[in-house]
Amino acid sequence: MSDTAATLTQDRQKLEMSALSAPAVIFTVGMIAFPVVYTIWLGFQNFSSTGKQSFAGLANYSKLVSDVEFWHGLWVTIALYVLSLVLQLVFGVWLALVLFHAKRLPGIVRSLFISPFMMPPVVAGMMWLVILDPSLGAANYILQSLGLPPSDWLASPTWVIPTVALIDSWQWTPYVALIVLGGLQSLPSSVYEAAQIDGASAFKTFQRITLPLLLPTIVTAAILRSVDLLRFFDIIYITTQGGPGNASNTLNIYGFRVGFEFFNIGYASALMLTLTAIVFGAVLAFNRLRGAVAW
Amino acid sequence: MKARMLATYVALPVLAIAAVSVEAHAADFDWMKFKGKTVTFLANNNPVSQALLTYKADFEKLTGMTLKVDSYQEQQMRQRLVTVMNANSDEVDAFMTLPSREGEQFAASGWYADLTAMSKGAVAKEYDPGGLSQALLKAATFGGKLTSMPMNIEGPILYYRTDIFKKCGLEAPKTIKEVEAAAEKIKSCDSAVTPFVSRGLKPAVAYTFSNMLHNIGGSYIANGKSSLCSAKSKEALDTYSRLLRDFGPPGVVNYSFQQISALYRSGRAAMAFESSNELRTVMDGGARLKDTGLLPFPAGEAGQVPTTIGWGMAVSSHSKQPDAAWYFVQWATSPEVQKKMALQGIAPPRPSVANDPEYRKWIDEEPVRKEWQAALDVLATKGSSEVGYPIVANPQSREFIGQAVQDLILKQKSLDQACADADRELDALIAQK
Repeated sequence: MSDTAATLTQDRQKLEMSALSAPAVIFTVGMIAFPVVYTIWLGFQNFSSTGKQSFAGLANYSKLVSDVEFWHGLWVTIALYVLSLVLQLVFGVWLALVLFHAKRLPGIVRSLFISPFMMPPVVAGMMWLVILDPSLGAANYILQSLGLPPSDWLASPTWVIPTVALIDSWQWTPYVALIVLGGLQSLPSSVYEAAQIDGASAFKTFQRITLPLLLPTIVTAAILRSVDLLRFFDIIYITTQGGPGNASNTLNIYGFRVGFEFFNIGYASALMLTLTAIVFGAVLAFNRLRGAVAW
Repeated sequence: MKARMLATYVALPVLAIAAVSVEAHAADFDWMKFKGKTVTFLANNNPVSQALLTYKADFEKLTGMTLKVDSYQEQQMRQRLVTVMNANSDEVDAFMTLPSREGEQFAASGWYADLTAMSKGAVAKEYDPGGLSQALLKAATFGGKLTSMPMNIEGPILYYRTDIFKKCGLEAPKTIKEVEAAAEKIKSCDSAVTPFVSRGLKPAVAYTFSNMLHNIGGSYIANGKSSLCSAKSKEALDTYSRLLRDFGPPGVVNYSFQQISALYRSGRAAMAFESSNELRTVMDGGARLKDTGLLPFPAGEAGQVPTTIGWGMAVSSHSKQPDAAWYFVQWATSPEVQKKMALQGIAPPRPSVANDPEYRKWIDEEPVRKEWQAALDVLATKGSSEVGYPIVANPQSREFIGQAVQDLILKQKSLDQACADADRELDALIAQK
């Protein structure tokens, strides 16, 4: 077969393969693109309380600027995000180190350590709602048994964000630990052997070797958790519905209420697209950081 | 709003006409007319629908139709409904609705099919639409159109512990002031129990607070403006929040019916102001069966104006088979089915069922049931369906009422500041068309 004929056959095969895979590709792209395009379109519409629709231009976005609830929601979202992420990364790394070094830990105990994140968030929310109930819950019973004053937990405007962050961290720290554990297991042993020969202490080894080498893995975990944390919804919806007052009203909760309780789908779409932009921004920032710490 | 004040069992002219014309059509009525069709019912998974759907097979046997049930929790049900209706979809034929909450909004959006003609036309002889609570039918009528048929009657009532009252030397409270005095005395007499509990969760507050507001003589709107800062409304805000702050459980700002029922049922609350629908939950396990008294919420300066609402069954305006859906609505709100539901503790919106010997026998079995029915009778005769602002944006108005109450419970604002902030937001809602 001449070269020209072989090239023509290859081109034909490529064309056939493209044609065969086209329906699946079009369907997948459509499934991803349609909701996004539709939400962008909704963001330019105005829906009255009675569902009547009209073109709003950028009115929904300009309304964001003067909406006190939006800025409050943004603050709550960021506060919850930062607090939860720090807790989950710190305790996730610690738990991973424990699991890595405690090689004789029975499998059942290891499974128990990582089980919370396998629980549906709604179940976790309901469980903590009962535990943290100021009157009937076990948390205050334990505090009082120890001679400590009871807390209002989720009912306190001051403590609601730390409490929600604790619940989320209880659930998702094991997930971070699993990722970090994978990273720990892939670290080169030669570096540790060299450190041991040089007489480095355990702390110095962790500070100068383990942590720098683990950073790309930790940043990956941070990216994965950032996407979830900035879209924080389920646990708050179950436990506080954004309260007390508006103390835990994240952007996602606020957008949900505007859309599905007050039926202002246009403004809710603008809110959610803004939140999506924030999530993208955080992911991009972490991606750059990952590039900087890669080894 | 006075126009919405219920005067149950006072016949509406429209329905009187309907009742007369029913006779003419009843003879031609055939339950099997839509045999083979499938009706989709969007249900709120609450005790009312749970009791109704116990008899789903009976409907299918009676009509030859298939009933497809799409059941969600209340909030998720509305979320699904909004999506379906905004898409002009015919996926839902019949759905449950709370006229006091979303009636104005759904009616203005054109989501309800007009049942006025249906309730006059294809009606079974035994249906008796005139026998349904006229007050609830009136509450479900918007712009002259009947939008849903009542499934039950309910409202907040006062559950109180007779044993604790006796121990503390108290009588059942007759006025709001006596409720507060009783709470004060219980606080010192039995420190192990919460003297008083009611709803503190922001979106849930309006249900119970409205009763307090109306009893004291306040109103939500005066001269087209929000009037939470009127003297009476301020008194209601102050009293409600003070009762919860000084005598309620810690964390009451997150309390809705689930927490209240759990607290009272466990024996840790002396008074609970909560829905009549919660009787079954509160009595679950039997611990409270013999030590509970029930009352409509005690009178204020304006007497007793209890909050009285009911779930309704509506037909979707986008349904492609509204007549078949109407058959389901008719069956679900028929005297026979409502009697069966009543025997499961769902208060009937029909006086004939409430007076039925079999139901009366069930009521007479326990003193607490007798008191429950007596309280419901007061709700039916004196009630108001005004829960939150009587405007299209009613659900949103409840948020601001709840916010004002929470601000006071948590002492985050003064009374004047809380009501002024709420009035400002509510005036903007009232101005929306």
